[in-house]
Amino acid sequence: MVKKSLISLVALLVLFPAMAFAEDPSAGTLNMGLNALWVMLAAILVLLMQGGFILLETGSTRMKNAGHVAGKTIFTVGLCSLIYWAVGYGIAFGGEGNSFIGWGDFFLNPAKASVDNGLPTTIFFMFQLAFAAVSLSIAWGGFAERAKLSVYLIFTVLFTALIYPVISHWIWGGGFLAKDGAQDFAGSTVVHLTGALAAFAGTVLLKPRIGKFNKDGSANEILGHNQVFTALSVLILWVGWFGFNAGSTVAIGDGFFGYVAFNTQLGAAGGAVAALLISWAVMGKADIGTTLNGALAGLVAITASCAFVDPWAAVVIGLVAGVLVFFSARFFEKIKVDDPIFAMSVHGAAGIWGTLANGIFATQELADKVAVGRGGLIDTGSWHQLWVQLESVVICGAYVLVVSFVLLGIMKFVMGLRVTEEQEIAGLDLSEHGNYGYPEQLKKASQNIQA
Amino acid sequence: MTDLGWQQLLQSISNADNAAGLRRIRESVHDIMISRLPQQQTEPFYGELNDVHDAMVRRCIWLAQKELARLGKGNPPVPFAYLLFGSGGRMEQTLLSDQDSGMIYADPQNEADAVHCRDYFELLGKETVQLLLMAGYPLCEGNVLSSNPDWCSSASVWKARLGEWFREPAWEAVRYLLIVADSRCVYGSAELHADMMSHFYGDILSSPLIVRRMLDNTMKHKVLLNVFGQLLKEQYGADAGSLDIKYGAYIPMVNAVRMLAIEANLRETSTLGRIRLLEQAGVVTAEDAREWMQTFRLFMRLRMMTTEKLEGGQFSTNGKLSARKLSKEMAEELKSGLKLGKKLQRRVYRHTMGRL
Repeated sequence: MVKKSLISLVALLVLFPAMAFAEDPSAGTLNMGLNALWVMLAAILVLLMQGGFILLETGSTRMKNAGHVAGKTIFTVGLCSLIYWAVGYGIAFGGEGNSFIGWGDFFLNPAKASVDNGLPTTIFFMFQLAFAAVSLSIAWGGFAERAKLSVYLIFTVLFTALIYPVISHWIWGGGFLAKDGAQDFAGSTVVHLTGALAAFAGTVLLKPRIGKFNKDGSANEILGHNQVFTALSVLILWVGWFGFNAGSTVAIGDGFFGYVAFNTQLGAAGGAVAALLISWAVMGKADIGTTLNGALAGLVAITASCAFVDPWAAVVIGLVAGVLVFFSARFFEKIKVDDPIFAMSVHGAAGIWGTLANGIFATQELADKVAVGRGGLIDTGSWHQLWVQLESVVICGAYVLVVSFVLLGIMKFVMGLRVTEEQEIAGLDLSEHGNYGYPEQLKKASQNIQA
Repeated sequence: MTDLGWQQLLQSISNADNAAGLRRIRESVHDIMISRLPQQQTEPFYGELNDVHDAMVRRCIWLAQKELARLGKGNPPVPFAYLLFGSGGRMEQTLLSDQDSGMIYADPQNEADAVHCRDYFELLGKETVQLLLMAGYPLCEGNVLSSNPDWCSSASVWKARLGEWFREPAWEAVRYLLIVADSRCVYGSAELHADMMSHFYGDILSSPLIVRRMLDNTMKHKVLLNVFGQLLKEQYGADAGSLDIKYGAYIPMVNAVRMLAIEANLRETSTLGRIRLLEQAGVVTAEDAREWMQTFRLFMRLRMMTTEKLEGGQFSTNGKLSARKLSKEMAEELKSGLKLGKKLQRRVYRHTMGRL
């Protein structure tokens, strides 16, 4: 028996020699490991939000475009990953840049493991990439149901290389807005407003979908084909948002990420409740679409402020976002902007509100803790932070808007953005991919069109 | 138009020989009424218009009887009453109302008579409905028509059906009962109809469950105001920005007043008439009655304004009033009217629930 045990032990030592010399990991290594694990988990959650966007965009659009709308997201996330690896990450976080643009680390070849117990670059990259992909998927809201597939290809490259990483650098990569103390904890401006304004440029240049507006200017309701998808998408996004916001602590630290998650939940809840109630009060019927948008608007708004405000303020920020998204959607319809997925209202209007809300509700205590900017108007009585927030919204907004319009304008001139009327009516599933997302339901209809 | 001219018009309806003639008269009535709409007061306007519609129906019944006689079907074997339901029953038809009708005939003596009566009145119903259709009165989408055997039967069958509906508090039965509550005899034996309605009211007063279900149905249509007191306009489509006067103002008020009238056992069918009788019966104060009538007249006027003349000279309405037709003053008037309508709904709800 003893002999048998000894043989086993020797065999184990031969197989795993390190065991013989293993030491307990240092506190620093343990700390790094925990942080890395948390940020990796957060990156996975944020990547999973693409599932939310797939369902959101598909559920909010028509059956004939379902396969295209859903499938193209997988393609653009893939392409976005390659471009962000090659160019985007370097523009955002490259070490040789200045206040306006990052430089270096192109075609990133990171260290295989943690250096000096810092967060592994690989994991930081994964986390940042997931954010870039979210911003891109938000932008697609403005392109839905009528853009050519080639537009998705080209604009993914341009957006991931030239638009998103610049804003990301300014606020998160040590750029000039970061130095000014602009507070945008997880990206109300960087991710959401950027995506929304690209969507705006897209939808304006593409013009409304066929049948959205009548000759007399009145709007028609183009209902999405599956409200259950849309509702499920909101829940997926909501859960993914804990990676988005709480993961943005990029550390376990003293458990502060829990507080961030806590505020995130309150903001989302406020948005959902306020949106249902306001639609009920104003229209006499409680609108499901508005409620879903309200939850998302609450999440978008609390994204900037989740680490900077008290719980009561998180509730207020969410409630205001829920009301805002309802009126914003009506406003865009009134000015005849076709916003199929409500990207401009959910991510744009609520993104601006969330960023500005820091200037009102941020507390000095939390600003000190996060070590970005100062307390807002209510806590400090000073307008300073609100001004900084406004400045960051205006500057980032202007950049995204101008560059998106210019790039998409050139694309429109060179290659055209929109499919033909026939293709749009037949649906992009057929025109861009040759197959329907719902073949059984739509085969008959397509035969009628061809006949 | 002078009274004399109007009398001549009614006269020409009762002299018309066929549906085509009636249709021509109807079209000229349209033009006359449309031109009178801006100046004339609401009540006399509807009064005269409904006189025309009634005269049209009577003439069609008469022509149908003649046609049946010509085909060798003889004359009506027993007395009968031709009933109008819906807005016709309430004497609130607009220029473009459709047909909602039924027939009740005296109980036949024996089995053979029963078959003969059934065949005759079925034919009479079909012929009348057809003539009215040709004269420009579209069919009721719910098939509440005298050509439908369900709505054309002998007095005892009618009573049996009413009894069934009263025993079965399903939404459909309740809907039928509410339709019957607005019925009016436009031609034939008024006694047959009065007898049926006595039966109806006798049963209602002993059916609290039915009254409860009637209340649910009555409250179904919401008034066009949101909680901030703003008008609820159509959001989308070709009618975006317009107001659904029919279902958001007129019908809720018709329903609420009907409910009070049924509970007070009043046999009147017109909404304004019902309000007058409710006041006489002491159910509402003189002040309330005045306000309600004023509001209802406004709704009737707006409802008439929803009529549009199409390119081909045809008229059409979907019950929706485009916002551009509504002056600022009228919008304010409508808002206070709708507030009153909302209050009325609440009152009917409390009143009815308090009695049950």
